[in-house]
Amino acid sequence: MKRAIVSGALAVAAIAALAGSAWAQSPTPGGMPPPPGMSLAQSAAMRFPQPVRVGDLLGRAVLQPVESQNVLGRVRQVVRNPDGEIMVVIAFGGFLGWGTRPIAVPVDAMVLLGQDMEVVAYTPDELRRFPTFVPGGSSDVADDTIIRVGLAKPSH
Amino acid sequence: MRSRFRPDTIPDASVLESHKPLIRSLERRGLIRGGVSLGALAMLTGCDVDRPESVESALLAISRFNDTVQAWLFDPNRLAPTYPESMILRPPKFNAYYDVTEVKPVDGASWRLELAGLVADKRPWTLADLHALPQRAMVIKHICVEGWSYIGGWTGVPLRTLLERCGADLRARYVAFKTADDYPSSIDMATALHPQTLLALKYGDETLADPFGYPVRLRMATKLGYKNPKWVTAIEVTNTYPGGFWEAKGFPWFAGL
Repeated sequence: MKRAIVSGALAVAAIAALAGSAWAQSPTPGGMPPPPGMSLAQSAAMRFPQPVRVGDLLGRAVLQPVESQNVLGRVRQVVRNPDGEIMVVIAFGGFLGWGTRPIAVPVDAMVLLGQDMEVVAYTPDELRRFPTFVPGGSSDVADDTIIRVGLAKPSH
Repeated sequence: MRSRFRPDTIPDASVLESHKPLIRSLERRGLIRGGVSLGALAMLTGCDVDRPESVESALLAISRFNDTVQAWLFDPNRLAPTYPESMILRPPKFNAYYDVTEVKPVDGASWRLELAGLVADKRPWTLADLHALPQRAMVIKHICVEGWSYIGGWTGVPLRTLLERCGADLRARYVAFKTADDYPSSIDMATALHPQTLLALKYGDETLADPFGYPVRLRMATKLGYKNPKWVTAIEVTNTYPGGFWEAKGFPWFAGL
């Protein structure tokens, strides 16, 4: 009986060792923050920005670029701020969609990740300190507008 | 569809009652432990199970056996599910074994598709040559071994068409690929000839973008995502097992869906 348990443990350990190598899908991690000193626009340009319809972004989950892919919020709208920069308004924080508040994050701080988006340039702590978005001064970007958003590989 | 493993006559439910003590004693953990026991592994390969590397080779033998079964089950005429164009995710999801910032775009004008191995006409193909061949479009699901998926629309040359035009030996066992990002890959000939196996040139009616494999990538509806190399530069038809990037790290080779 003892022998069987030892052998079982050995086999399981071997599977874990095999699986360990098999799960190593990420020799370089995805969704890394911009290198120090680089502007958001410069770092976004390195991420092969792709055309995407604004209406297709609405409602998407916004993830933290870590293995657990924590949901930070959902895309509520896309606006152009008084400086002409495109900002993604995220219903941020809360619990299961309740108690969120809108924050505006520069689109160049974000990436597309399939059906989801990620914030790569700010940590969740930094986002918590973002002011609550108030519409005054910024204009809504229409659903049919095509904007360009950078990419990242999955973070898991 | 009714499972072909379902027996014609269903046993009477009373057998559960009469074997209650036995059923109670069946523990899931016990089954797993028993299934991957020393004895079972040793019998499969006759190896020395005290060494972890021999256990690993035994598990790889099981993986190869699974490949054989999958190849046997593969129906060359059965199509994988397709979806309406409205469901295409634009742009598609980027994935690679490195992040997108390390993508090295390929120049389509100087790009050539090299042919090697059991092929009668090894003349390299240009991008224009491929565009001149009959094209096929398919909206299929990309399913990654990591657990995510998306629906994508791909247009390109059926690999079968290219293999026929260049006089490839269609009885050979493998079709192998080399890529600009050093991601070797290979598939079985039956899948290479399947109608939903394309050398994709377009995504959603637009020229393939750089991060998704421009100018040419492989797209198959019948295999997992990691079997679809991007930035293909060479195709070899061979009877010698060519392996692949993840396969060398222990991933299953057949990887059918």
